[in-house]
Amino acid sequence: MKIKNIIITFFSAIALLLSTSVVSFAKVVGDKIVLGAAVSLTGKYSSNGVHTQNGYNMAVDRINSMGGIKVGGKTYKFEIIYYDDESNPKRAAQLAERLISQDGVEFMLGPYSSGLTKAMAPVTEKYGVPMVEANGASRSLFTKGYKYLFAVLAPANLYLDVAIRTAVELNGGKGVKIAQAFEQDAFSQDVRLGILDAAKDTGSEIIIDDKLPKELNDMAATLVKVKQMKPDVLVVSGHTKGALTAIRQISEMKVDVPMLAMTHCDAAKLSKQHGKNSQYALCASQWHKTLTYKDKWFKDGMTYDADFTKMFGYAPPYQAAESSAALLVFKDAFERANSFDQKKVRDALAATDMQTFYGNIKFAPGGQNVSKPMVLFQVMCDSSGKCENKVVAPLKWASAKLIHPIPKWSER
Amino acid sequence: MINKNLIIYLSILIFGLIAPFIFPAFKVQLSILCVLIILAMTWNIQGGEMGYNSFGNILFYGLGMYLCASVQVGMFFPLAEWTESGGEKTFVHTPAQFFQGFGVGLAVAAVVPAIVAGLIGYSILGLRGHYFAICTLGLGVAAGEISGGIEIIGAGQGFTTPPFPNFGGLEARGEFFYFCSFISLVLTFIVVKSIYSTRFKLVLNAIRDNEDKAEAMGIQTMKYKIIGWMISAFFCGLAGGIMGGLVGYIDSTDVAFDGREMGVFMVLMAILGGKGTLWGPVIGASVFHIFKEGFWTFFLGWQYVALGVLIVVIVIYFPEGIMGWLREKYPERFGEVVDEADRKAQVELK
Repeated sequence: MKIKNIIITFFSAIALLLSTSVVSFAKVVGDKIVLGAAVSLTGKYSSNGVHTQNGYNMAVDRINSMGGIKVGGKTYKFEIIYYDDESNPKRAAQLAERLISQDGVEFMLGPYSSGLTKAMAPVTEKYGVPMVEANGASRSLFTKGYKYLFAVLAPANLYLDVAIRTAVELNGGKGVKIAQAFEQDAFSQDVRLGILDAAKDTGSEIIIDDKLPKELNDMAATLVKVKQMKPDVLVVSGHTKGALTAIRQISEMKVDVPMLAMTHCDAAKLSKQHGKNSQYALCASQWHKTLTYKDKWFKDGMTYDADFTKMFGYAPPYQAAESSAALLVFKDAFERANSFDQKKVRDALAATDMQTFYGNIKFAPGGQNVSKPMVLFQVMCDSSGKCENKVVAPLKWASAKLIHPIPKWSER
Repeated sequence: MINKNLIIYLSILIFGLIAPFIFPAFKVQLSILCVLIILAMTWNIQGGEMGYNSFGNILFYGLGMYLCASVQVGMFFPLAEWTESGGEKTFVHTPAQFFQGFGVGLAVAAVVPAIVAGLIGYSILGLRGHYFAICTLGLGVAAGEISGGIEIIGAGQGFTTPPFPNFGGLEARGEFFYFCSFISLVLTFIVVKSIYSTRFKLVLNAIRDNEDKAEAMGIQTMKYKIIGWMISAFFCGLAGGIMGGLVGYIDSTDVAFDGREMGVFMVLMAILGGKGTLWGPVIGASVFHIFKEGFWTFFLGWQYVALGVLIVVIVIYFPEGIMGWLREKYPERFGEVVDEADRKAQVELK
């Protein structure tokens, strides 16, 4: 009869049991502090997931080699358990549960992207596991009353706020016409909300407001409209793919627009991949190597840039830098708490007030970092075709003057 | 024989009831397993018994997910303010509100998709073969895109479902969702098993084997096809509602109308276990889930390659699924009378 089936079902149960035998009840084992992290190694966020992981690894390496973390007179070293969340929120929530209840992780690092952080936060919150995240910028993360969530980065709605204000300023204080296209995901939609606020504030008009699909590889429809309606600013946000698609199609279709504002240019390595085609693109960034912040582990941005390039073979985008900063925050909090008690570490995290090579870090009650402004850089190329990202705003760190308006394609 | 079956069912039931206490760390995986089994079993009603390969069942799953969460929030708070991310207000459900909302939400999540299935089914179940498959594939994709544009359910921002209230201990959340999904699974199993023992299943099989002949015999095939799909939709919606609460965050294309993963998995699991059988989808889903979790742990970064290899192996060595393979190997255990001489003759022919 059905005995065979039952046997198979029970075999399955046994297999499940076997898979539990690898459970290591980690948290603080011997001289190791084990942190859990789910990052996107596959799927649509895989390139940024790898930047995140590299950033974490770089900081672990550096902190461990510079003496580790001193708690209660003993020295500890960081170790991270990684899982691949496949860029999928459902998976991320599962992994958070798995890291906490199966791997016994007591402290977490964040995943890449707002959507995935949104999926993990309810779980870490329920278990009271402090999570320092470096890549979830959506504003809604900080209005849910989470107490164990800390973000080292500025919230998403501020990303391109500066760009709109600069455009208005250059327009003699009069409102501008904005065309915008955003990917259908938590982060990009939040950037959009920021633009809506800025537009309302400055009396600007939004003439094109498009949504882009998640598997973003074509935005020609939006660009055709841009060609017809001639806005003053074109804003595009859709992670790495959004930046690459925008530049590819703008240059193919020779779309002339006075200002092009984007996100994720450095993560997409725009200046390298598209060279002169990406020239004049204005990009929001959490960090740039030329900023003058300092700390004792990485010294400053330029040193971090050089060390990271040596270790991983490419220049660090801000996603890597902020991820490294997350570990510095954890180290600092552990030492101040002088304990591994989750509540005490949480309180120490909440009281964080420090400078890192990445920027100042101080958390608001909602968990977002309020003491670090965004920077805007512009892709600038010299006559030999070598392109570089130069900070143009805020003025304090500007290493070049904003080129505005962007020259027409026919004149380039 | 009846007693033997009863013992088996009872032992599985008891195992299911105590599982979360024996494997407390695996509650989430077990809950997801229950949901996967529900999806595979309900897909099997179309794909296995009726011969209509539907890729559209994910529509009901996603619909159930959004409906359950919306009702749960909407019963007590303004939904638009909840989903609007910039909102400064924080809404917290009391335990009573949470459970009441979730209960009503689940009921809505099951009933509405069933009605939708009836309406859609009326218009598209006339299509046959590949045309039906392609049409249903479009349903899931379209639903994902459309829901990604509806502001009141969060659009591209996603929808954070109400956090589990401060009720019971640390384990309460996991246990609650486990029992929700397990009870739904038992319910699904009972319903599916009982309809498989009626004339209804024979009609579905007749449709699969030769729809024109079935019609010629005076069976109103359309009616049966629609009812079959409505039953699937009912339980898919229920599973979706539970999954939404379990994941805690609904994204239009990645969590709710997740045709690329859940939509394909439900087909894969049913085929892996053996479509057109009662136990096939159950076994298929269990094996699939365990392998997937294992690959995920031991082949990090290569899990999909490993999964792909598994699928290839299954297709080559178990084309009829695990149940089909068992049936071929031990036909007498499936109540088939085998004539030895006939069997030998067949072997010789091969």
